[in-house]
Amino acid sequence: MTSTPRSDFAVEHSDRSLGPNLPQRIGRFLWSPMLAMALMAFPLGFILSVIRAGIIGNGGDPQAVAALGHFGPAAMFAGFAAVFAAIAFAIARILGAFRAGGGAVQEASGRTVQTLRMLPIAKAFLGLMAMAMMILVGAVIAHVVIGLGILDGTPGALDSAESSAIQLEAIRRIGVILYLLSIALGLASIAEVLRFQAIRLRELPSEAAR
Amino acid sequence: MTTSSHKLVNTTARPGATAPGTLRMAGLGLAAFATGAAMIAFAGAWSAAQLVGEGGSGADVTTLAIWTFGLTTLAFGTAKLGIASILLAIRRRVLGRVDSIKFALPHLMPQDPAGPRRALGEYDSAFGPAVATDRAPAPLPIHRLAGLMWLPMLAMAAMALFGGFILALVAAANVATDPTLAVSQRAWVQGLQFLGEGFALAGISFLLARILSTLRSGGGEVQEGLGLTVETLRMPVTAKIFVVLMMAGLMVEVVQFIAYAVVAGMTDPTQIAVASTWLGPLREFGLGLLLAGIVLALVTIARALDFQTARIVQIITRGQ
Repeated sequence: MTSTPRSDFAVEHSDRSLGPNLPQRIGRFLWSPMLAMALMAFPLGFILSVIRAGIIGNGGDPQAVAALGHFGPAAMFAGFAAVFAAIAFAIARILGAFRAGGGAVQEASGRTVQTLRMLPIAKAFLGLMAMAMMILVGAVIAHVVIGLGILDGTPGALDSAESSAIQLEAIRRIGVILYLLSIALGLASIAEVLRFQAIRLRELPSEAAR
Repeated sequence: MTTSSHKLVNTTARPGATAPGTLRMAGLGLAAFATGAAMIAFAGAWSAAQLVGEGGSGADVTTLAIWTFGLTTLAFGTAKLGIASILLAIRRRVLGRVDSIKFALPHLMPQDPAGPRRALGEYDSAFGPAVATDRAPAPLPIHRLAGLMWLPMLAMAAMALFGGFILALVAAANVATDPTLAVSQRAWVQGLQFLGEGFALAGISFLLARILSTLRSGGGEVQEGLGLTVETLRMPVTAKIFVVLMMAGLMVEVVQFIAYAVVAGMTDPTQIAVASTWLGPLREFGLGLLLAGIVLALVTIARALDFQTARIVQIITRGQ
């Protein structure tokens, strides 16, 4: 296939639609399990906090209060990690629909199929999403470990429960802001793909069919 | 293959449809700025944790906790406003793509249609229930609501988030001089800022519904303009659940705001501690519902795009 390189977008030329790439195929399959996990984790986190509030109100065991102070956020932020991942996967799913769909339309028209190469902001979207997920999951694991340590009576665990909770809260916030930034980058990729498609569609009538 | 343009449709591109995006860049800039602000708040929160570990002054820890909370929540809200700006850019691009399809399709489709026309009425497409009509479909009620509500929601979000941040600074300054007032103000900060977060996510949800509306009306506009049977995907289940989750999440955020207003009037430290223990997760639960709704809205967009691709390919290959 001979084709003229273009200066405005980095594209791949082919005879047929390339279909979704690997992250986009993963996105198609993983958004729903992630959403299901989130919808289970949020109520669990809330229920644990209500139990903790009851223990505080009754002047109950400080050890249980401190441990639940870690288990509650662990459940809640497992939910946030999952729901943000579901959003990122859904964005990847949309990008896949554009990539496969744009190719299918060009292929059906008999013209050379031009597919946008993965944009730098799309790569940054994937990288930041992975980083944010690791930070949030790491914080969730740390909450669970500390909570179990408090219940087991690990020396110093109860004394440091509050400071470690504040530290982990700060870390969780970094995870959330990185997720939001990655989602912004993913959506910006969609806007750029739409711009490419609008331009490419206008080129098709003037090109000779294969 | 034909190059005839016998079917006349409006092919004028809307202004700025293919130009580089200022809204997109503004959105990315806001998100990056918000990340920087969150990093500053992170340093403050880390200092608070160290103070607690070293047995530092309780007033100092509370002061740090209040302003870092205010700044972080403002940063989260700012990032969401940036995302909203990018969604506006996407909607503009969708309109540009509709114009391009209207321009290109008459040149790409065969002059003589192959096969019978689809009968008018409901049918099952490969992507779910769809309907065939002779005119472009009218917007759904949620689409009309989204057109009216996205801007007020985002404006209220900005006001609540920024107002809450100012109040957080005031409360932080009052910790040493008037601790009772600071406790009350802190409750207002949390309620107000998370109400703002809820409004921001609701604004984003309405913008997603607006994009869905544009996809639906654009698809109808193209097909009707070409004199074809208008095939439209019916509202998928994911879209219906999206609306329910968005409304439920927004209601939870309003409830938590009212509850924090009640806490702001409390004086008993135990009562305040008990209420704060479950109110924090409640406000997060509300945001979780809104975010879950956003997932479903995005998935609905993907499904609508798949349907549209199949329809465009059908028009190009069969001419109807």
